[in-house]
Amino acid sequence: MRNPFLDFRSLPYEKKEIPLDRIVRAKQEIMDRVLEGYLHLVEEEVKDLVWLVEHSHVVRTYSAAVNCIRELHYDQDDIEEFCAELDSAKKIPYMISGPAGIYLSALINHAPEERIVLRPKDYDRTFHFLGYRLPESKTLIIQGNVGDFIGAGLSGGRLVVEGSVGNWCGAGMMNGEILVTGYAGQKTGEWMRGGEIHVDGSIGSLGRSRFGGKIYQRGKLVIPQELDDQY
Amino acid sequence: MTKLDDILKEIWPRVKGKHLYPELPVPICAEGEDRVGLDIKGKKITISREFVEEMSQALEESDTMEGLLDHAISHYLCCPWDFSTHLKLYGEAKDVLRDKGMAQRATDYFMDVVADTHCVSQKETPLPKIYRNFKGGIVDEAIHALYQKIWGIDLAATGYEDISRKLSRLPYLDRTRWRDSIRRFSKVVKVLFEMEEKQGGSNESSPMGDHGLEQYSSQEIEQGLKDLALDAATPSEFREIVHDFEDEILEATESKEQGMGLGPGRSIDADILYYMKLAENYLLPIRRMPTKKSGSLYPHQHVPWEAGKPYQDIDPWTSFGKIMPGITQTWRRREGEIFGQEEGIPDCIVIIDSSGSMTDPRQRLSHAVLGAACACDAYLRNDAQVAVYNFSDARSGGQKILPYSQYRKQIYRTICHYFGGGTRLLTENIEALQTEKAPDIFLITDMQITNLEVLVEYFNACKNRVTAVHIGDNKHVEAFRHSMAVRKNIEIYGVVKKEDIPRIVLGKVQDYLYKKVGP
Repeated sequence: MRNPFLDFRSLPYEKKEIPLDRIVRAKQEIMDRVLEGYLHLVEEEVKDLVWLVEHSHVVRTYSAAVNCIRELHYDQDDIEEFCAELDSAKKIPYMISGPAGIYLSALINHAPEERIVLRPKDYDRTFHFLGYRLPESKTLIIQGNVGDFIGAGLSGGRLVVEGSVGNWCGAGMMNGEILVTGYAGQKTGEWMRGGEIHVDGSIGSLGRSRFGGKIYQRGKLVIPQELDDQY
Repeated sequence: MTKLDDILKEIWPRVKGKHLYPELPVPICAEGEDRVGLDIKGKKITISREFVEEMSQALEESDTMEGLLDHAISHYLCCPWDFSTHLKLYGEAKDVLRDKGMAQRATDYFMDVVADTHCVSQKETPLPKIYRNFKGGIVDEAIHALYQKIWGIDLAATGYEDISRKLSRLPYLDRTRWRDSIRRFSKVVKVLFEMEEKQGGSNESSPMGDHGLEQYSSQEIEQGLKDLALDAATPSEFREIVHDFEDEILEATESKEQGMGLGPGRSIDADILYYMKLAENYLLPIRRMPTKKSGSLYPHQHVPWEAGKPYQDIDPWTSFGKIMPGITQTWRRREGEIFGQEEGIPDCIVIIDSSGSMTDPRQRLSHAVLGAACACDAYLRNDAQVAVYNFSDARSGGQKILPYSQYRKQIYRTICHYFGGGTRLLTENIEALQTEKAPDIFLITDMQITNLEVLVEYFNACKNRVTAVHIGDNKHVEAFRHSMAVRKNIEIYGVVKKEDIPRIVLGKVQDYLYKKVGP
């Protein structure tokens, strides 16, 4: 009897390696390490799934986040993918918004690109602490609304929010510039030491304790001026 | 026969062999659009003469045709593979883009990228040559830039560096991650669609054509809907996708009035279709009971006549004197049944509670409706008839009764009806559905029935095989179980989640009764 599979002998099957395979493998490796770093941070800094927003906690968490990403070679696309992972929570068992935002900020601050664009409007979750300690020479553009403590501790960078921000925007910022095209929440510029905040929409309230810096609303300087009573 | 037909005849066996002989009909060359090379309908591949001739200025005709065939076969062999995958990919894209047109285009492009990349990574193909010589719109150019990056072949694509870099990260060849990949793909190409919109919309067609649903057979569409129903978390998720393809689904299934319950000039009731298709995923077993075939056939119902069917059963009175498929009616004959020694499936009375304590089947997945739908499906598959008694507060009009029928749409519409309100049934209405052949009774409720004792009394007196299903647990369930403990013709099942439904065995009763039933 004739072997019916003989016809297939003349058709050698050989899967070629194409650049896609290499790109996907390399990116997957990086993403695994970025996720591993975040999970390690949460394990170290978050006890009983509770994370309190205190200055010392924030500083410590940021230092730990920087340690986690040391020696990681990633780019803006990896940061975007990490945002998508945080949003879908398929590979991340728990997302705690404070440390997640600080970890994201650490990734942004140490990314090789000088200009980074994030699109929170593509995600269901609200991101907090974006732009934390954004250094000089970095520009972060955020498309969509974001949560609290945006641009906190800004250290000379330029943060553009094409949307609205929550409370404590620019809290404790040292230097640099924050531009918000939407509105800003309560205590905007609290503990501010330098730099400028520009808000195109309304401002919920201004921070009571300030040590420097300027706040503009619709192009008009509101701080420093004797206008605190208006808010 | 033209030159192109000769070329096609020559290359088809080679292309088919290259793809390990897929079961596809012989493709043809036909008049088509200048800018679209392919058209696939019901697996039949049609290559556009105009497209091949246009490309012939830069490319051998045989290369163009082979590339187009490679592309078409890769869709069949790799992505989307089947209608169900196509719908699922579309569902994900729609969830991201929130627009039917954009979601369809994103799905088409994604499937093209997967199929082409699969082909390029595994076969020798002239596909890259086609892309190198074809100038398309904004999205096509960006996709060419992507191909250049992920295939490592120069396609003379320039620009779109940012977009192609983002798109090149997706694992297109990993089938298990397609749903996640198309979401990310859609987010990126959305920018291109918006850009295109700003420039006055897209007037460039993809060279590989659109991927409409006409490429699938009606059987594939039925199977795809079944899979989609199983996959959808809520009826509304299913409704949203089905609504987008209403015309195509109707067109594919319009001749199957009895099967899908759809017809020309009608719209789809997606909620009914959801439970209908979901039920088909759970094939409940029915215990057969002693019946005897009388041996004589009698005309039972009309079905449309199709070419090839015998003429002797044609009913001239309902055929308008015409012999024409779809218009001419023939009699379907059924065998008469009387109780005897042989085993068969009796008819069934489905009693379903749709009071306020039950889930509204249009809002969320109702286990009661799904259970009832599964029971109906099981009896109808066995050529039995189903009567439905849907009740809430029957005394104040909250009830719907459907006499014995095999018409699926009517049956499913009756079980999907939701009244809300109180819960009281009238046993005289169940009694009215009783026949001499002792039909099975299928009851599904949460047992929070005001006059439960009347129902218990009725079941204590009746001789039918009763399958009672309670949704959740409560004290009334306990009372019912306790009251029915001694009855041997009643089997009680509890359903908390949809996975409990396949455990139900319809008509399962104690052995002695099983033997005793009969004349």
